[in-house]
Amino acid sequence: MKNSKNSTPMVFRASNVFSKLGVIAFMLLLSISVMAQDIPSKPNPPRLVNDLAGILNQQQVSQLENYLVQFAKETSTQVVVVTTPDLGGTDKADFTFKLGDKWGVGQAGKNNGIVVMVKPKTRTSNGEAFIATGYGLEGVVPDAIAKQIVENDMIPRFKQNDYFGGIASGVQVIADITRGEYTADEYTAKHESSPFSGIIGIVVIFVLVSFISRGSKHDKNNMGGRGSSLPFWLMMSMMGGSSRSHGGSFGNFSSGSGGFGGFGGGSFGGGGAGGSW
Amino acid sequence: MKNLKKMIWALLMVPFLTSCGYNSMVELGENVDAKWSQVENVYQRRADLIPNLVNVVKGYAAHEKETLQGVVEARSKATGINVNADGLTEDKIAQFQQAQQGLSSALSRLMVVVEKYPDLKANENFRDLQAQLEGTENRIAVERRNFNEATRAYNTYIKKFPRAIYASWFDFEKKPYFKADEGSNQAPKVEF
Repeated sequence: MKNSKNSTPMVFRASNVFSKLGVIAFMLLLSISVMAQDIPSKPNPPRLVNDLAGILNQQQVSQLENYLVQFAKETSTQVVVVTTPDLGGTDKADFTFKLGDKWGVGQAGKNNGIVVMVKPKTRTSNGEAFIATGYGLEGVVPDAIAKQIVENDMIPRFKQNDYFGGIASGVQVIADITRGEYTADEYTAKHESSPFSGIIGIVVIFVLVSFISRGSKHDKNNMGGRGSSLPFWLMMSMMGGSSRSHGGSFGNFSSGSGGFGGFGGGSFGGGGAGGSW
Repeated sequence: MKNLKKMIWALLMVPFLTSCGYNSMVELGENVDAKWSQVENVYQRRADLIPNLVNVVKGYAAHEKETLQGVVEARSKATGINVNADGLTEDKIAQFQQAQQGLSSALSRLMVVVEKYPDLKANENFRDLQAQLEGTENRIAVERRNFNEATRAYNTYIKKFPRAIYASWFDFEKKPYFKADEGSNQAPKVEF
């Protein structure tokens, strides 16, 4: 009795250890796969072209970025290009929607964002491409069109290892289709007001300079104040006003040539299509 | 006089009710209902695509009658079950899901059959429909996830401490989730 009781647990224990090891290994695997499911986090500073897979060179990235930033300024539609070395354990559609939602591509009210995702082909895995359209663009870029863009404009070039060519022509077609859909009313409003405020600034500076020069003609040691016919506080406020309006127009100018302002918080509802090669 | 007292009581209750999260419970509950109608929308969208798809396939593969018939039947079964957002119960969701799952598998059988017809696969109409169908499946996945997230937010809210006591006084019951489709967690088998 005692003997049998002693011998069976030995086997039992060994198998127990193995099963425990198995469980631990399984949990480790699970945790790795869970970790791998992470969607890349939002780029900081925000960029529209994110070459996480490293398939584009510096010049190509900045060329695409400039084009897309300009496009986003003109139309408020945000087209994001993401290349990724892996899909984080999910499929291409799911990966792209989640990324678009997480980054908030497109404007919040309009949901006019598009994510162009490319996973390059490797020796062990297929290449995958997907275009995800935000809620607000599902009408302009229907799934069938997105599919055609992927299959006709992108994949043939990807097959020849021309990643830049494929992405650029896909983006070009998307831009052409969506151009008319949304207009950047904020942008035009800013654009219209900026020359006007610039003129005001110039006029104010001109007036100020003429006052100062007149004042200094009167009394070289006196900066305004008694010498000028304007009270000191008024002059200060004018100076402040002039510098403010000037600063505003300068800000506009710099944002016109510079970087991308940030994602708007648009969301994705599953529109779009993709393909693999 | 009694009425006046009641009114005063009601007025006194207003800040209490808003601070105890009554309004949030209403909002979260409404959000779940809205998400449910989105779920129904995308399923309806899929059902709407099917007559076109069947017609196009018929033109090329008329003698795949059985498969086509299966799709049509599964479609009418699926569209026959409508669940009101107010009457969401676990059973009803399961029923709804089962009918839609039936349609999914009928469709995937059709897509397997279609592989035998290269002319059909090259047809532009068919390719467009196929892309739309894929897109609809993606939308279904997204809306189901959104629904489950909204439901989870609502359920956690009403189950948290002070509210767990009085949520049921105002008929705030736990709402059911979508369950993962049977077999959807396994990769499909490919046989050659």
